[in-house]
Amino acid sequence: MYFLHDMERTITLHPSFFGPRVKEYIRGRLMEDVEGTCTGQFYIICVMDTDTQDFSEGRVVPGSAVAEYTVHYRAVVWRPFKGETVDAIVSSVNREGIFADVGPLPTFVSKHMIPSDIKWDPNATPPQFTDNGDQVIEKGTHLRIKIMGTRSDVGSMFAIGSIKEDFLGTL
Amino acid sequence: MLLRLPTSLHYPITVTELLKQPNDHVDKFAPLFSYVYETEVTEGDSLGNTWQTLKKYPTRFESSVEGVLINWKIDEGAVISKPNVNIAEIEEPCAHSVQFGGMCVTCGKDMSESSYVTEQLDSSRATINMVHNNVSLTISENEAARADDEAKRRLLASKKLSLVVDLDQTIIQATVDPTVADWQKDGHNPNHDAVKDVRAFLLKDDGPGNRGCWYYIKLRPGLKGFLENVSKIYELHIYTMGTRAYAKNIANIIDPEHKIFGDRILSRDESGSSTAKNLQRLFPVDTKMVVIIDDRGDVWKWSPNLIKVTPYDFFVGIGDINSSFLPKKPGPKPSQKAAAIAGPEPRDDQTEGATKEELQPTINGNTSQELATPSAGESEAPAANNVSALEQLVAMGGGNDPATRQAQTTRQDEALAAQLEDRPLLQKQKQLEAEDAAIGSAAANEDGDSGNASPSSDDSSEPDKPKHNLLQDHDRELFQLEESLHKVHTDFYDIYYRRLSDAQGGRLGQLRGGQKRKLPSEKSDLDLVPDIEIVLPSVKSKVLAGVVIVFSGVVPLGVDVGSTDSAILARSFGARIEENVGRSTTHVVAARNRTLKVRKAIKRGKGRIKIVNPQWLTDSIHRWSKVDERPYLLDTEGKNGPHEDDDDILSESESPAASESGEDTDTSSRPSKPTLTLKTKPNKSHVDPDESEFEDVALSEIDVDEASPVGGTNEDWSGMNDELAEFLGSDAEDSDGDSVASGDTNGSSKLGMRGKKRGREENDSGDESEDGNAGKVKKKQAVGNGLTSLSQTTMAEPDGDEDEKDDGEEEEAGVGAVVNGEKEEGDGWSEFEDELERELEKDGSEDHGEG
Repeated sequence: MYFLHDMERTITLHPSFFGPRVKEYIRGRLMEDVEGTCTGQFYIICVMDTDTQDFSEGRVVPGSAVAEYTVHYRAVVWRPFKGETVDAIVSSVNREGIFADVGPLPTFVSKHMIPSDIKWDPNATPPQFTDNGDQVIEKGTHLRIKIMGTRSDVGSMFAIGSIKEDFLGTL
Repeated sequence: MLLRLPTSLHYPITVTELLKQPNDHVDKFAPLFSYVYETEVTEGDSLGNTWQTLKKYPTRFESSVEGVLINWKIDEGAVISKPNVNIAEIEEPCAHSVQFGGMCVTCGKDMSESSYVTEQLDSSRATINMVHNNVSLTISENEAARADDEAKRRLLASKKLSLVVDLDQTIIQATVDPTVADWQKDGHNPNHDAVKDVRAFLLKDDGPGNRGCWYYIKLRPGLKGFLENVSKIYELHIYTMGTRAYAKNIANIIDPEHKIFGDRILSRDESGSSTAKNLQRLFPVDTKMVVIIDDRGDVWKWSPNLIKVTPYDFFVGIGDINSSFLPKKPGPKPSQKAAAIAGPEPRDDQTEGATKEELQPTINGNTSQELATPSAGESEAPAANNVSALEQLVAMGGGNDPATRQAQTTRQDEALAAQLEDRPLLQKQKQLEAEDAAIGSAAANEDGDSGNASPSSDDSSEPDKPKHNLLQDHDRELFQLEESLHKVHTDFYDIYYRRLSDAQGGRLGQLRGGQKRKLPSEKSDLDLVPDIEIVLPSVKSKVLAGVVIVFSGVVPLGVDVGSTDSAILARSFGARIEENVGRSTTHVVAARNRTLKVRKAIKRGKGRIKIVNPQWLTDSIHRWSKVDERPYLLDTEGKNGPHEDDDDILSESESPAASESGEDTDTSSRPSKPTLTLKTKPNKSHVDPDESEFEDVALSEIDVDEASPVGGTNEDWSGMNDELAEFLGSDAEDSDGDSVASGDTNGSSKLGMRGKKRGREENDSGDESEDGNAGKVKKKQAVGNGLTSLSQTTMAEPDGDEDEKDDGEEEEAGVGAVVNGEKEEGDGWSEFEDELERELEKDGSEDHGEG
C-alpha cells in the first residue's frame, strides 16, 4: 500500500559544495540517497515537494570540514502488508514454487500455495507450472498474488504469497 | 515434533501433573506439565542469622511449539535427572520444511523469532539450498530427499544423467581484452580468422569503476554439437565461478533457446563458497547420478564424479578471468600444462609467457633462447609452489569471510582493469611479430640443419609464413569428451538395467513359486541405481590399468610427487605412481632425457620400461585410452646442440656411456673387441653422419668402448680433450640438427662425464694396455656424439637375453667406481649432483647385492 510519509534525514556535505547552490546539492544528495531504497519497513518510492523542503541550518562537524544538514522531506512510500493482493512478475520457477517480483519486493509462492490443478512440469521448455490448459506460469508471466507474510532484514524485505484463492493467479 | 527437556532446567525434577491430554491443542507458551525442583537457598531471620536450607519449588514447563499433543513420553510422578529426555510428541500444523527469506512459505511465520522457551531456531529446520538461482530459499532434509527421489526417477525415466558443466576454460574462454574487437574488425589481421566468431556482450555494472565492460567469448570448437548431443543423455547444469550476470550472458550465447541448460545455472553469487565448488550445493542428498566436467580438479577436491578436461587456452596467456576467486594453481602446474598443450598443436612456444616457458625447453627445446632458461626456471619452480600452497590455504580458510570476498572482488576488478589497460593479446602479438623477424633472420643461418626429431616442432621457425597469428583454433577436446561422456552413460545404464533385470528375475521366480509378492517399493527401485562415484572411476581406471609410472623431471624437486595434478590424474586413470624406478615400473614419464631416473630405467628396464614424454600421459588421459607409446618415446641417446662449448661436448659425449653401459653389453669381459672396431668406425661415421642404420651399428660399438677399458692417465686426458674439441669443432657444423639437446644437458651430462671418469679410473687400475688406444677411443666417442640423429632408444634394444647377465657386470663397474673415488673433481660439483651420485651409488650397490 502506498503512503505519503514525512521523514527526516541528515546529509553531510563536503566544503567544496558550499556556495549559492548548496540547496540544490542537498536536494540532489537526498534524492540520490533515499529514492528506491528499502528501510526494512517500506520502500521509498519518490521524494515529494522538493521546493518546500525544510532544510536546517548547516552545522560544521567539529574536527572535520563537512557540514551537516537535517532535511525534513515527504516521500511516497510503499509498504506491503500481509493479506494485501498485489500484481507481480515471475522471475523464475522451480519445483518448490514460483519466485516473483512485486516491484522491488522479492516474493515466493510455494507449491502448497498454488492451486492443485496447476502442476510443476520440469520437462517443458522452459520448465513451468501449468494446468495443461490456458494457465502457464513461467518466467515473465504476470501474476496476481496475495501476500501471506512479510519479513524484513536490514535494508531488504521478503514476502511469501499465495495464488490459491479465487481471482488470483495468472492475469 | 518430539519435545525434549532442555538443559536449562534445574535437575533433578519431579513431574507432578500432566496438564494436557493427548489430542489436546497446545499453544506456544502453553503449560504442558508442572513439576517440582529442589534447591539450596539461604534463609535468614530478623536477627541477621542466615542458614542454608533445601527448599522445593513448584513450577510449570511451557511448550516451545504449537500443535496437537499426540502422546506423553513421561508419567506423572516421574523423577527426571538429566536433560534431553523425550517429553511428548506434538504434531505441528506446519513443519516449516520450506523457508524463504526466513519465513515459512506455508504458514508465513517468521522463522528467526526466538523467545525464552526456544530451544532451536525454526530456521535451522530447513538449511539446504535446493534451487540454483536463489539462496534465500531453503528446504529441510526430508524435503530435499523427496525432491531428489523425484529428480532421479525423472532422469531414469528419460535415461539421462546429470552433468555439471564449468564454463571458463572448459567449454568457453572469455577475455575483456579489447584487442579482440579490433582484430575482429580488421580483416587483414593475422588473427582475424580465429577471432571472427568470437561473441561479445556488455555487462553494465561490471568492470573497473562500474562503467561496464565488454566480454569476448570464444566457444570451444565443436561446442554446439557437443551440447546438443550430450543434452540428449544428460541433464546439464552450469556451475561457474563467474557472476550471475556473466553466467546468464554466457548461457544466452551457448544456449540461446534455453533448451539445454534451462534455468539450471549456479554462479558464484549462489555458490556459498568462493574458493571451492561443492556438489552438495546442487545435489544435497546424493550424487549417484552426477558427472562433472571441469578444467580444475582442485576446486572439486578431486571428486570421483569429476572428468577433468584440458583447459581451453585460446586467448593465449589470459587464462580464466574468474579465477581470482579460486585458490591459485600450484606454481609449476600451468607451465607443465601449457607445455603439454603446446605439444600437439602448432602453437608458438614463444608466446606462452615467461612462466610457461619454464618447462617447454625440456619438451620442445630446440631454440637457442630456451636453452638459456631452464636452470633458472627449475630453481624457481619449487619456491613458487610453496608460496602458492600457502596462499591456497589462506584462501581456503578465509573463503567465506566478507572481507576476503571483498578483497577477491577487488582483485578481480584489478585483474580486469589490468587486462583492459595492458591488452596482453596485442602485446603478445607484437612480441610474436618481433620474434618472427628475429627468427626469420636467424632461420636463414640455421637453414638446413633443422632436422627436427621432436614431434612438437614449433612453427616459429617456418620462414615462409610472413606474419604469425597469435591465436590458434585447434582444440579437439570436446570431441573426446563427448565420447567419454557417452561411455560413462552407457556403462551406468548397463549396470542399472542389469540390476533391474536381476531384481525382476527374482520376483518372477517368486511368483512362479505361487507366492503372492508385492512389487518392490519405489524406494528399493532407487536403491538399484548404481553410483557414478563407482562407475566413473572404474571406467577410468581401466585406461591405464597395470601401468606403473615414475615421473622424472616433471615435478620440481621438493614437491610431493603424489600430490601433483598429473599424479592424481594418472592415479585416477588406474596407473600407479612410484617415486623411484623399481622392478614393477612400466613407464618413466620424463621431461628430459638425461635424468637419473631415466638412466636408471634404461639400465634396469632394458626395453621393459618405456621412457615417454609427459605428452603421452596427457594424451592417454585425454583420450581415455592407453595410446601407443611409440610417438612419445624420449630419445634417450646423447645429442649435441650446436652451441655447446668444448667441455659440454666432452661431457655429453660421455653421458651415453654412463647411461647405456648397462644395456650395451659385457664390456669388461671382452675388452679387446671394441678397440678393434674403433679404428675404422670414426671415419665412417664422420663421413656419413646421417646414415642412421649404420650408426646403430656403430653406436653400439661405440658404447661398448665407452664403458669398456678406455684407459688413460690424467695427462693423456687433457690432451684428449683438446684433440676432441678440435675434432668436434668441424663436426658440429654438419651434424647439429638435432632437436633434443636441451638446456639441461649441462647438469646431467656432467654427471655422465663423472660416471665415465670413474669407469676410466677403474680401468686404469685394471687394464693399462688400452692406453694406446685411448686417444682414438675418445675421438670415436666424440664423433658418435656429434652424430645427431641417433634415434636409437632403449626400446630398440633387441638383446633381452644378454641383459640379465650384463646387469651384474655393469653393477660391478658401478661399485668399482665408488671405490675409486674422485680424482679429478677439483672444479667442484654442485650439491645436487653429489646427491644424485650418492643415489646412484646406493642403487648400484643394492643391485649388486641382488645380483
